[in-house]
Order: sequence, then C-alpha cells, then structure tokens
Amino acid sequence: MKALRITAVVLLLAAALAALGASYIAPAGYEHQFREAPDASPSAQHPLGTDDLGRDRFARLLYGMRVSFFLAPLAAAVATALAALLGGLAGYFGGWIERCIMLLVDLFLCIPWLFLLITVRAVLPLNISPEASVVLTFTLLGLLGWAASARVICAGTRDMMKSEFVWLARATGFSGFKLVRLHLLPNLRGTLLAQFWISIPVFIIAEANLGVLGLGVSEPLPSLGSLLRELQHVVTLRPEPWQFVPLIVLIVVVSSFQTLLNKHEVRA
Amino acid sequence: MLRSFSLALARLLAIMLLASLLGATLIRIAPGFSSDEQELNTSLSAQSIQAIRQARLADADVPRYYGKFLISLVRGDLGISQSLNQPVKDLLWERLPVTLKGIGIALSLAWMLGLILAVIAQLANSAWLTFVTDAMSGVFISTPAAVLALVFVILRLPPEWAAALLVFPKIYRYCQNLLQHSYGLPHVLTAHAKGAGRSRILIWHVAPTALPQLLALVGVSISIVIGVLLPIEVICDVPGIGQLAWQAAQSRDLPLLVNLTLVVAFVTVLATMLSDAARRRFTHGWRTAVA
Repeated sequence: MKALRITAVVLLLAAALAALGASYIAPAGYEHQFREAPDASPSAQHPLGTDDLGRDRFARLLYGMRVSFFLAPLAAAVATALAALLGGLAGYFGGWIERCIMLLVDLFLCIPWLFLLITVRAVLPLNISPEASVVLTFTLLGLLGWAASARVICAGTRDMMKSEFVWLARATGFSGFKLVRLHLLPNLRGTLLAQFWISIPVFIIAEANLGVLGLGVSEPLPSLGSLLRELQHVVTLRPEPWQFVPLIVLIVVVSSFQTLLNKHEVRA
Repeated sequence: MLRSFSLALARLLAIMLLASLLGATLIRIAPGFSSDEQELNTSLSAQSIQAIRQARLADADVPRYYGKFLISLVRGDLGISQSLNQPVKDLLWERLPVTLKGIGIALSLAWMLGLILAVIAQLANSAWLTFVTDAMSGVFISTPAAVLALVFVILRLPPEWAAALLVFPKIYRYCQNLLQHSYGLPHVLTAHAKGAGRSRILIWHVAPTALPQLLALVGVSISIVIGVLLPIEVICDVPGIGQLAWQAAQSRDLPLLVNLTLVVAFVTVLATMLSDAARRRFTHGWRTAVA
C-alpha cells in the first residue's frame, strides 16, 4: 500500500507541475488556432493532434488541468468553510439551532447533489464570459457541496463540547470566540482537513459532468469537463483513441486522490 | 410506535415542502429566470411575446407562487408545464415508471456486484485480488457519469448498467470497510479460534453485526443512483425523470422543476426512512432473539 501511495503522490505532483508549467510545456496557447491543420492526427508538433477548430489538444489539456485542479481546491475550501461555520454553530449551541441547521443539512442531502447542481447551473445565464463561467461553476460547487461535511463537523464539535478539556476551559472562564479559537478549531483541524481533501475529487468529477453536459466552463477556456465534450464526436463521427487522453488523466488524478484519502480519513 | 410514525411522517412532509421551496427560490433568484427562449422565436407576434413575459412575471413572486402551488397540490393539481404545455401530473406519470425501473435495475446490480466483490476480497484474503477489486472500483468512482454514459452509447449497452457501475464502488468500499471491522470483533475472533468454518462465521457472526449498517446504506444508495441517472438519462436519451428535469432546467420551467424536486425529495427521504426503520427493526429483533 505504501508503494501505491507513493505512486499516487508522484502522479499528482506530475499533474500539478504539468498544469503549472503549461505556459512553458504547451506548444501553443489554449485558444491559438492552427487553421491549416484542423482535426490533425497526433504528430511531433501536436502530440495529441488538433481539434476541429485547429487548436492544439495537448495545450488545451494542460491549461484545462490548470483550471480544474486549481479551482476544485478553492471550491472545496469554500464548501469546507461553510460546513465549518454551520456544522460548528450546530455542534456548539445544540438545541433548536442544531435542529434547524440539521434540517437544512437533511434538505440539501435529500436532493441528489448532481440534480440540484444541474438544475441551478442550467438556469444561470450561459452567455457569460469564460472567466465568469469558471468562477460561477466552481463557486456553485462550493456553495452546494457543504452539507455532508457539515454533518461530520457538527458531530465532531458536539463531542468536543462534552469533553473534559472544554469543560475545564469553560470553568476557567473561556467562552465564545476564545474557546473556539484556542480549543475547538485546533482540535477540529484534522476533521476539517479530511473534509477538504474528500471534496476535491468530488468537485473535479462534478465539474467534468457539468462540462460534458455543456453547463461548465465556457469556450474557449478549457477545463477537463469541456475537453471531455469532444468524446461526443467519437460517438457520432470517428473513433480517435487520443481523444480519450483527458478522460485517462481525469481518472488517474481522481484515483490518486482517492488512494491518498484513505490515509487522511484514518488520521481524522 | 404511533408517535414515532407521526414524527417521521411530519419530518418527511417538512423536508419535501422545504425542498420544493428551496428549488423554487433557487430558480427564481437565478439571473436567467426572467428570459425565455420563446422570446427569440421570430414567428411570434409582439402580443404573444408580451403574454409570455406576463406569465413569467406572474411566477416571479416566489411566496405567492408557492402559496398557489400548495393550494393546487392539496387539490391534486400539479399545474401545467410551461415548456411542454402538458399537465405536470401526466408527465410525471409517464416518466416516473421508467426512472423507477432504472433505479431498481441499477441498485440490484450495484449491490450484487459491490457485496459479492467485498465478500470475495475479504474471504480470499489475497493482496492481489484486493488490489484488482480496489482498482476496478477506483476507475469507476473516478469516471464522470456523463462520460460513462457516452461510452455506453458507443457500445450500445443498457444505460442502467452504467448507473450500476458508478454506484457499485461506493457500496463495495463501504462493505469492505464494514467486513474488515466485523471480522476483527472479539466474538468473531473467538468463533474463528474455536474452529468455526468460513461460511458459518460469515452467516452467523459477521452478517448479523454488519446487516443493520448495510440496511442504512440502502437508503443512501437510492439517492446516489438518482443522482447518477440524471446525466445518464440525458446522454442515453432515456425518457425518465432525469431527462425531464434536464429539459425543465434548460427551459426554466418553474412548475415542472418544483414538482420534480418534490418527487425526488419524496423518493429519497422515504427510502432513507424505510431503510432506517428496517435497520431498527432488525437490530431490535436480533437483540430479542439473542436475549
């Protein structure tokens, strides 16, 4: 298992470095069109060929990885912060505040997440700038994906509020913000980190689902989801195996996250 | 008994009503709500476009719309779909059986696959076999539902199989963890030390401790299946609730979306409540039998 985890770390680092160094590695910008070579097969100049608009697929993959792999953690941070706030409030105060927040959590959990996400994303404007679409997509992921984490954090906070060291702290005059900052947050750090790491692969896959359905990041900005849309041409036009490379990259990265997650969950 | 049933029913109703209100509010506050695709139709007259805008404005006040919706709901009237121009009740009546059948097939296959692989991996106690089953579940847990649906369209395979493959990794991983935990319990170790056979340990010592938690997972897995069926129905052109939700969302059809949210919330909450009740009943029955 140790070898598997080391492989996962190496793969994630390689993907992160490739995405970070996209400007140096990619043969062209993600929107540069090679008009003389649309739909070109793989070659030395275009390792994954070009799409129907003549854009280099390898370059788009690298920039797409940058969008998906760096914005998913931001969305995960938003979701974890929301979960910490609401779950923490529920666990800290208990009583009717906890019941109200848990009803809200049940509400978000009873509607399948993808159903809610697609419904809300579909009614948002589609004719917005690519940059705005990226922000909108990942903000939405963060705002709608907090419920499961909030339940875990609420349980953690509730247990901690009953622990002896918190009783002692309260008996010595600690309360409110000081108690949260000095006792609760440091002890909940493991749980919060675990929830953060769990959310990242979930959000990468959710963005990919939205992208395939045409509700993700707008053209010409690439993301893994929007690159996967090309697979629809495989169905209707021609089988080109290199079009599956973004899917393979996605599976490898998410699997690597899953491999590492078990360890984080155990630590939490 | 009657009190807990009434409380559960009240909770189900409260969540359903709040879910549909949440759906209506989210759709209403979305910036694209006031625009309608039909306004771009050049064959429509100015009066028709004005009428469409008026109809939209009538739904713009969410509390008023929701109040009207609840009164109609009590009378059994679910309203008319704005985009498909058909009674919502008829649309749901046509589409619900297709999705329920899909959920049934996908759930049965996913549970069979997940449970069998977890039991085999546990009983075989082989690192190689565990690696293979883990890798298999890892691949499917990392594949977006929409992409697997595309692959199934290419291969002309039933869409329910795609849903089953996407749900089985979650069941497999949960079952595997649960079995590992159950096999480490003192009474199981004692039975093993006393020479009980593998099947006897599994049926008489491991299954009773693991079954309540598995029953709780059944409810959760229904919610997961509904979630993955949505993109699958869209891509594979299956005329179910998922495809209807997609069409309703794209055409900003508020009456249809609110009713769909209500139906989906009802199915998932009811499934969770039933599986919880089954878990409690089993635990109580088992404790009574042991005592």
